[in-house]
Amino acid sequence: MNLLNCLILAFLLFGIGVWGLMRRRHLIGMLISIELMLNAANINFISFAYFTAHDSTAGALFSIFVIAVTACEMAIALAIIVTMYRRHKSLDADQLRELHD
Amino acid sequence: MSIPNYLFPDILLLIFPFIVIGSRLFCSTQSKVPWRIANVGFIAIFILLNLIPLASGEGRLFISNWKIDDFGVLMREVLIISAILGMWLSKDYFEHSGERQQMHQIAEFIGAIAFATFGGFTVVSACDLLTFFLGLEMATIPMYALTAWNKKDQLGSEAATKYILMGSVATAFELFGFSYLYGFAGSLHFSEIQYAISNGTNPLLWVAVLFLFCGIGFKLTLFPFHTWAPDVYEGAPTPVTAVISVTSKATAIAFLVVLVFGPLAPIQEQIAPLIALLAGTTLFVGNLGALKQSRLRRFMAYSSIAQAGYIMVALLGPATMAKTAIIYYLFVYAVSNYLAFFVFGIIGHYREETFASLRGLSKQDVNLAIALAISMFSLAGIPPLAGFFGKFHLFFSGASTGHYAIVAFAVLNNVIALFYYIQLIKSAWVDEPEGNLSPIRLTKRQRNVVILLSVMVVALGILPFLSNNVFAGFSY
Repeated sequence: MNLLNCLILAFLLFGIGVWGLMRRRHLIGMLISIELMLNAANINFISFAYFTAHDSTAGALFSIFVIAVTACEMAIALAIIVTMYRRHKSLDADQLRELHD
Repeated sequence: MSIPNYLFPDILLLIFPFIVIGSRLFCSTQSKVPWRIANVGFIAIFILLNLIPLASGEGRLFISNWKIDDFGVLMREVLIISAILGMWLSKDYFEHSGERQQMHQIAEFIGAIAFATFGGFTVVSACDLLTFFLGLEMATIPMYALTAWNKKDQLGSEAATKYILMGSVATAFELFGFSYLYGFAGSLHFSEIQYAISNGTNPLLWVAVLFLFCGIGFKLTLFPFHTWAPDVYEGAPTPVTAVISVTSKATAIAFLVVLVFGPLAPIQEQIAPLIALLAGTTLFVGNLGALKQSRLRRFMAYSSIAQAGYIMVALLGPATMAKTAIIYYLFVYAVSNYLAFFVFGIIGHYREETFASLRGLSKQDVNLAIALAISMFSLAGIPPLAGFFGKFHLFFSGASTGHYAIVAFAVLNNVIALFYYIQLIKSAWVDEPEGNLSPIRLTKRQRNVVILLSVMVVALGILPFLSNNVFAGFSY
């Protein structure tokens, strides 16, 4: 295992996240894709901290903070999505059509 | 350890939202106590900020990563002004508006605005990537909740869904950029990143910069990441739209300023073409989009996209000049934008918020029509109003490093902008109303705030003439 492998893994995860976000029409699926992208960044932080950085604690700490912040963000996202569900009884992203030009 | 007194505004802003929310537990639902505490708190913070002496050179550090410099203090003032005006604008929606717009829980609403403001404070005082990231998130997350504040409003929850999906993707891009930047420099601290960059660059850095600009492009509504803005601005409640368009935009601009003139300063020359490209396309797309709008808040969304483009032009200049221009423009932008939103909010209590419902405004309430004209002329940049001098400084900053092409393009675009701003004024002043108009009544607070803001827009434009150089006292 070396740095390059970890970076490629993170980049692939990020790519899968972006792809999933575009392909999925289900709101929960889209949130999971976003979570993948955020965790790809976490892998980057940890692998840089482990292999190269001279200030390695900072990178490891950063990923813990990211997890906490993401939890807050997802809590609000789920709350908003629940209000959407109550109204439409479905979580299809195609129902977001009321606002347009 | 004693706490230095320049930290008091920050500490007060962190504590008093809890007091506002907590006070709700001990009062009845109709009580005015939380509202009064919020007013006193915000105004006290504003006064404390004004007591911090400017011109302190490099700025003061607190525990090595909380820096308070002149840029930070002035940005804090912009953010606090925005929070106070947003709070005043929202008050009417909690009292006696129509069924559709009625909002509840004013204490929590004000608390959310205060936390978003504190996020902005954190962004301008950060000295390392972690604080920077936390500040930006703290400024954005309350905005999602504020957008969906009106649970009964279908458009609000749709707007919030779009906002939070786009915002989280932006966060992911930004974080990915941060991780490469950390990998490049091996440290999170800005001074060490700057040192590493000045010692030489490699492709990792450029990828990081690209990801960072993608991420912040979402938050600052730069082309091609601007598509969420019109939907969110239209769906959110009017006071929230105003807060998003000023606080969130000011925070995003501050983020870019801190980044471009902080850690990325050694490569500012190389990323100038990227900034110029983003600025040019953004203001062009914003102006073209605004041309064909018929609903007021959607129109304001495109207008604010274009304004973001103008502000980006200033980032091409030297640090001091750019920071001065951006701060001054943000003051002007905040005041003009809030003036427009106050007028739209007052009209929105009685009619739909469209161009058509502005018709006959000059005959009905001439003061309101004058206020609307002042704010639109200021946003369009007509002398002697504040917007003209703001834009002048922005363009001057861009031109001073020889980027004449983008400045010329921006000035030409301003002509398009003039067209649609004047169209809005035309529907208020020239067009005849259809049928009878429902009467417009202003509360005392609304009247006072509209007068205050109109005077401020005019005064901010004349002020630079009165003093020889209003910026002479500042140094960054």
